[in-house]
Amino acid sequence: MSERSEQLASGDPIVTVDHVSLNYHNDKETLPVLSDVSMTAGKDELIALTGPSGCGKSTLLRIIGGLNRATAGTVKILDSEVTGPRNEITMVFQNFVLLPWRTSLENVLFGLSSRSDLTNAQKRDKAEKALEETGLMGFENVFPGELSGGMKQRVGVARALATDPLVMLMDEPFSSLDDLTAERLRKEIYALLINPSTSVKTVIMVSHNVEEIIELADRVVVLSQRPAHVVGEIKIELQRPRNKKSEEFFTWVDKVYALLS
Amino acid sequence: MILALGLSIVFALAIGITAARSRRAETVILPLLDIFQSIPILGFFPFVIGGIYGLFPNAIGANLAVIVLIFTSMSWNIAFGVYEAVKAIPQDYVDLLDMSNASGWQRTKSLYIPASMSRIAYNTQTSWAVGLFFLVASEIISVGATQIPVTYGIGIGATSFFSAQDYSDYSLLIVGLILAVVVWRFVFLREFALWSEKYKMMEEPRERHRDPIMKFYSWVNQRSISKLFLLAQGKGVNRFTSAISRFRRGIKYAVLIFLGLFLFLVLETVMHAGPVSFGQLPSLSTIGSIEGSVLVALGASFLRVWYVYAICAAIGLPVGVVISLNFRLYDTVSPILEVISSIPAPILLPAIVLVPILGHLPEAVAAIVIMLAIIWYIIFNVMAGVRTLPAEIKELPRVFKVSRRAAWRNVYIPGALTGFVTGSITAIGGAWNALIIAEYFTVTNPNGSTTLLTQTGVGIGKTIVIATNSADYLTLTLAVVSMTILIVAFNLTVWRRVYHHVTKRYTYNR
Repeated sequence: MSERSEQLASGDPIVTVDHVSLNYHNDKETLPVLSDVSMTAGKDELIALTGPSGCGKSTLLRIIGGLNRATAGTVKILDSEVTGPRNEITMVFQNFVLLPWRTSLENVLFGLSSRSDLTNAQKRDKAEKALEETGLMGFENVFPGELSGGMKQRVGVARALATDPLVMLMDEPFSSLDDLTAERLRKEIYALLINPSTSVKTVIMVSHNVEEIIELADRVVVLSQRPAHVVGEIKIELQRPRNKKSEEFFTWVDKVYALLS
Repeated sequence: MILALGLSIVFALAIGITAARSRRAETVILPLLDIFQSIPILGFFPFVIGGIYGLFPNAIGANLAVIVLIFTSMSWNIAFGVYEAVKAIPQDYVDLLDMSNASGWQRTKSLYIPASMSRIAYNTQTSWAVGLFFLVASEIISVGATQIPVTYGIGIGATSFFSAQDYSDYSLLIVGLILAVVVWRFVFLREFALWSEKYKMMEEPRERHRDPIMKFYSWVNQRSISKLFLLAQGKGVNRFTSAISRFRRGIKYAVLIFLGLFLFLVLETVMHAGPVSFGQLPSLSTIGSIEGSVLVALGASFLRVWYVYAICAAIGLPVGVVISLNFRLYDTVSPILEVISSIPAPILLPAIVLVPILGHLPEAVAAIVIMLAIIWYIIFNVMAGVRTLPAEIKELPRVFKVSRRAAWRNVYIPGALTGFVTGSITAIGGAWNALIIAEYFTVTNPNGSTTLLTQTGVGIGKTIVIATNSADYLTLTLAVVSMTILIVAFNLTVWRRVYHHVTKRYTYNR
C-alpha cells in the first residue's frame, strides 16, 4: 500500500470520506451527529478539521480511524474501505494516553506490539529512532509521570510515528499543553510529519485554535454545528515557514473565522 | 442493624472529618483506623460479649453486644471513606470558606458532609455486607459462648432450623434473606446512592444506573413511591442537619461519652475476664506451652488464608476486569454480584456441609466459606479500579491493534492493580475473620446440646472458638493477641510497601 502511495502526485487523495452520516440512538430518539460529510486528505497534506465545540469533529476523526462506525457513507484509504482500526492509520491524542506504568520506550514499543513482521531487536531500533526524532534521546527509561506535558506528547507522537503509518490522525494534539510548549512543538511537527523520509503521507488534525490551523495546515475543513456538515473548505496558500505576525497571516485567520461564525 | 448503621455513619463522619482537618488528629487516627480495620474483630467478640453480658446479664446485654460488634465492623470502612472524601476536596473550596469566615460547624454542614455523601453511600454498600456477615456470625457465636439466646435473629434461625433438620424452613429462611437483601439494597441503599450523586463534585464522572433491577424498580414506582421517598429525604436531611446544628455541642459530648463507654466496656471485660482466668497466675511454662500450640494453629491458618486468597485473586482479577470492560455486562452482572455478595457466608455453611463428598472435606468447606466471604472485595475493587481508567486508555489496544495478551499485560492488569491491592488487603482481613466461622462450626439443637458441623485440622479460628466455649480465657487471650500482632505486623511491613509502590506507579493521572 505504501508503494502505491509513492506513485501518487502531491495532493492526490489518500483518505476519502464519502457522504458519511452518523446517528446516535438512545431509548426514545435518534440524534443526528454527522450529516453527509465528504472530504479528502491528499498526499503530503496536513488537513485541519475545525468547527464549533461539540459538533462532532473528534467523532469524525474516530470514524476515519476505524474506531467508530458511520451510520451511512464510507471512508477509504487509497482504494480500500476502512472497517476497523488498521496498521496504516494511527492516532495522537489530546491527553497523550500514555501507560503510566511503562517507560517512554516501553510505551512506544507497546504501539509496535502487533507488528509480527519485526523481531524484538528491530522493534527496539524503531522505537529508539522514533524517540530520537521527537527529541527524547536520553529519556527512554523515564516514566510518563516524570515527564512534562510537552515531552509526554512527544512520546505520543513517537509512538504513532514508530508504527510506520500512512495516515496520522491528531485529536487536538496541542490543546492540553501550555502556550509556550505548544508553540515549540508546533514549530517542529510539520517538518517531522510531512517530509519524504517518513511513512506518513497525510495528516488530519482536529483543532479549534484558528491561529494554530493557519500556522500548520495546508487545507482546513470547517464543520457546522450539530448535526455537522461541511460548511466550507479553505486552501491556505501561505509560504512556509509562516510568520504568525504578518498581515497576510491574519487575513487567512479572518477567512476561517468568517466560515466559523 | 439499622441502628448500628446510623451510629456508624455519625461516628465515621466525626472521626473522618477530624482526621482530615487536623494534622495532629490525623497522625493518631489514621494508624488506629488502619489497625482496627485489619484486625479480626470477630476474635474480640468473646471479650465484648463477656463484658457486656457481665453488665446486663439478660437478653438486652446479648443484643447490645451484637450491635456493638456490627457497629465496630462497619464504621472503619465508612470513616476511611469520609476521610478520603474530605481530603479530596479541592483547595479552592476550602479557600472560599476561609474567605467567608465560615465557622467550623458551617464548614461541616456546607462542605464536609455533602462532600462525603457519595463516599458514604458507596462504602455503606460494602459495610452493609460486612455488617450482615458479622450479624450472623455473632449471633451464632454468642449462643455458643454464653448459652443464652440472643432473642431472635436470622443467624439463630438458620442454625436452629438446620439442627432440627428442618431443611425446608432453612431454605425458606435463605430465600427470605436474599429477598430482604434485594429489597434493602435496591430500595434503600440505591436510593441513597442515587440521591448522593448530586453531591458529587462535578469533575467526577456520574455513574450510570441502567441495570435491569433498577429499570424494573423505576418502572414499578415511577411516580408514587420514589417521589415520596425523595421528598422525605429532602425534608429529612434538612431536618437532620438542623437538628444536628441545634445539638452540635451535644453531639460532641455524645461522641465522647460513646468512646468513654466503649473504653469502659473494654476495661470491664478485662476485669470480668480477669478473675476467671488469672485467679491464680498461670506459670510461665503453661503460658509457653499454650502459646506454642497457638503459634502452630496460627501458622496453619496463615497458610489457609493465603492459599484461599490466592485462588480468589486468580479468579477475582480477571473476572473483575472482564466485567468492567464491557458496559452491558457490567450493567447486568454488577447488581447480581452485589446481591450475592451480601448474603453472609456463615449462613450458607450448613448448606455447604450438606453437599455430598464436600461435606466430608472440612478443609474444602472452610475454603469455600472463606472464599464466599472475601472474593467480592477483590472483584469489586478491581471493577472500581478499571472503571476509573479513562476510556481512551482502555481503547489503546484497539487503536494499535495490540494482541489480547499484550493488552492484558500492558493495560488491563496494570490498570487494575491499585484496586486489586486495596481489595486484597481488605480480603485478607476478611479471611482472618471468616476463619472463626469456617474452621469450627457448631449448631445448637432444640434440646440445648450442640452438634459439631465441621472442623478443620489445627487453626487459630478453631482455637478461639473452642477456648470461647470452654471459657478458657488464657488461651483465648493468647490466641487473639498473637493473631492481631501477626496481622498488624504483616500490614505494616508487607502491605504498606506494596500499596505505596502500587499507588505511586500504577495510578493513572495525566
